Amino acid sequence: MLKLPRLTPRQESQPVLPALLGVLRRDLLANFRRRQELFNPLIFFVMVVALFPLGVSPEVEFLRQSGAGILWVAALLSTLLSLDHLFRHDFDEGVLEQMLLQPQPLYLMVLVKVFSHWLVTGLPLVLMTPVLGVMLHLDGNSIGYLCLTLLVGTPVLSFIGAIGAALTLGLRSAGILLSLLIIPLYIPVLIFGTGTVTAVAAGLPVGSYIALLGALLVVAITCAPFATAAALRISVSNS
Amino acid sequence: MHPQRKRRLTIILFLLVGLGIAVGLVTYAFRQNINLFYDPSQIAAGEAPADVRIRAGGMVEEGSVERDPDSLLVSFNVTDFKHSVTMQYTGILPDLFAEGQGIVAMGKMNNDGVFVADQVLAKHDENYMPPEVAKAMKGKSPAADTSTN
Amino acid sequence: MWQFFHKLGSPKWFYGIASRFMPWLLGSSLLLMVAGMVWGLAFAPPDYLQGNSYRIIFIHVPTAFLAQSAYVMMAVAGIVTLVWRMKLADVFVKAVAPVGAVLTFLALFTGAVWGKPTWGTWWIWDARLTSMLILLFLYCGVIALGNAIADEKSSARAVAVLVLVGVVNIPIIKYSVEWWNTLHQPATFKLTEKPSMPPEMWVPLLVMVLALYLFFGWIACLRMQNEILYRERRSSWVKAIMGTGNARASAKVTD
Repeated sequence: MLKLPRLTPRQESQPVLPALLGVLRRDLLANFRRRQELFNPLIFFVMVVALFPLGVSPEVEFLRQSGAGILWVAALLSTLLSLDHLFRHDFDEGVLEQMLLQPQPLYLMVLVKVFSHWLVTGLPLVLMTPVLGVMLHLDGNSIGYLCLTLLVGTPVLSFIGAIGAALTLGLRSAGILLSLLIIPLYIPVLIFGTGTVTAVAAGLPVGSYIALLGALLVVAITCAPFATAAALRISVSNS
Repeated sequence: MHPQRKRRLTIILFLLVGLGIAVGLVTYAFRQNINLFYDPSQIAAGEAPADVRIRAGGMVEEGSVERDPDSLLVSFNVTDFKHSVTMQYTGILPDLFAEGQGIVAMGKMNNDGVFVADQVLAKHDENYMPPEVAKAMKGKSPAADTSTN
Repeated sequence: MWQFFHKLGSPKWFYGIASRFMPWLLGSSLLLMVAGMVWGLAFAPPDYLQGNSYRIIFIHVPTAFLAQSAYVMMAVAGIVTLVWRMKLADVFVKAVAPVGAVLTFLALFTGAVWGKPTWGTWWIWDARLTSMLILLFLYCGVIALGNAIADEKSSARAVAVLVLVGVVNIPIIKYSVEWWNTLHQPATFKLTEKPSMPPEMWVPLLVMVLALYLFFGWIACLRMQNEILYRERRSSWVKAIMGTGNARASAKVTD
């Protein structure tokens, strides 16, 4: 690895915010230029959802009962697929190495990167959910809450998944390995996400489910970037 | 203050605030019934929704088990010693199902206030004892019996 | 103190000391295991409610207990790996992860066998059972990641990070029976209270737990020795062991 001169502490008092905004801008732009890669997980999402009415049962009653679960599982799987390119391009192009040498804390860099990744992968899933919800015969109230849970839940998926993406960076069979490592950690999010919609359908109060999802989100935002940053350092030093 | 130390302090503060919010949300969540489990008192108070698959449980009331002679239909009362609820179940009950024994049932409330179970499971607690001891305790006081079931 | 710590980091030193301890570990664990088995399965009184089927507790509780504490031990070793870069800590994690996975599987399996006669079902998706299943998945992930990274140093640190992330599951397993109204009964042994069973039941149970701990210690040492021999296969001391005491050393190495 090429040793770049480290900045001395006196120079490290550069402002943090502009640097972070720069990372966000750059990431969004780079993603925009690789549009096709962003569309693939979305198309996958729609296809997986379509498998259930065709493969299990197109009955309205079945779809109404399991629609929320189907959409959540599909969103989870497509997030897993999209995680692959969260750090990959930056890693291949050496941008990541530069980032590790920046004076700004890696923790915040990771935070911004994962957020921008969620903006281009998680948010579109949430926006597509109403359409698919109607196709699965969910009622309006359920669709509303489903979107809300996905809005709170998909960032959690992105933040947890980033740990796995960073750990498996540069490995040959990264895709399947990433799923193996991350799916166990996704299970609580899935449980509370679908639990909310089940409770809505049953006419029960849902405040506690949303609160738990919110708690998961806060913990994921505050703690996961630490693990991700540590994992990135390991993976980059390995290459 | 040294800028780097200041930055580190900001991150730690951010972390603490985050964890504080998370703890607050979790305590709020745990005040509500999250796992769709209802005891007989809650059902008597009308908290359990009708026609939704829920879990309910308690102690099978002594002398309340009635078996239909022609089918596998069983009806029994489940109590938490304050209120009781009638349950119906069609099928084979677990071996440990007995009067005075704890159970957990999955099913739906119907409109008559009867719990129609589609699965009945025997719940036992962490207390184990030899039969002689259990008999001795049963003989001594009925209160001891209920606490050990 | 620090000298001891550094010594502990030396694989060669560990290899020697483990060889000395292992016969004792194996002997005492087998002795206790036989004693606990015979006592628990033949002499302990039956339960007033479950009759003889409760006796599976003598296998179920020790395996479940150890499956969780093995993960906690791995997490501690993970911290040691990340902070002090101690090689031996990683050897421990790599050696113990498959053992932990087997123990978790055994706990789930014996639980299912126990659940059928008592609850009336093999499996139920309640919080305790689900969180134990997640523990099994976590063990599988740790093993898979460890095998996927070829470089020894980064493999050690990556696995340590993963183990530490997964440790959130342990309190969830522990408190699942209290937070949620699970079908699974609460713990038999608690730190603060006396056990919820008479001594003629809990003493053999404790003997079994102890026996399994010792057995775990033995198998951990054995697997760590193997791992050390493999990693240090090019060093002179390993060559010396393999060269001179060929028969003895290889007998010790195969498991």
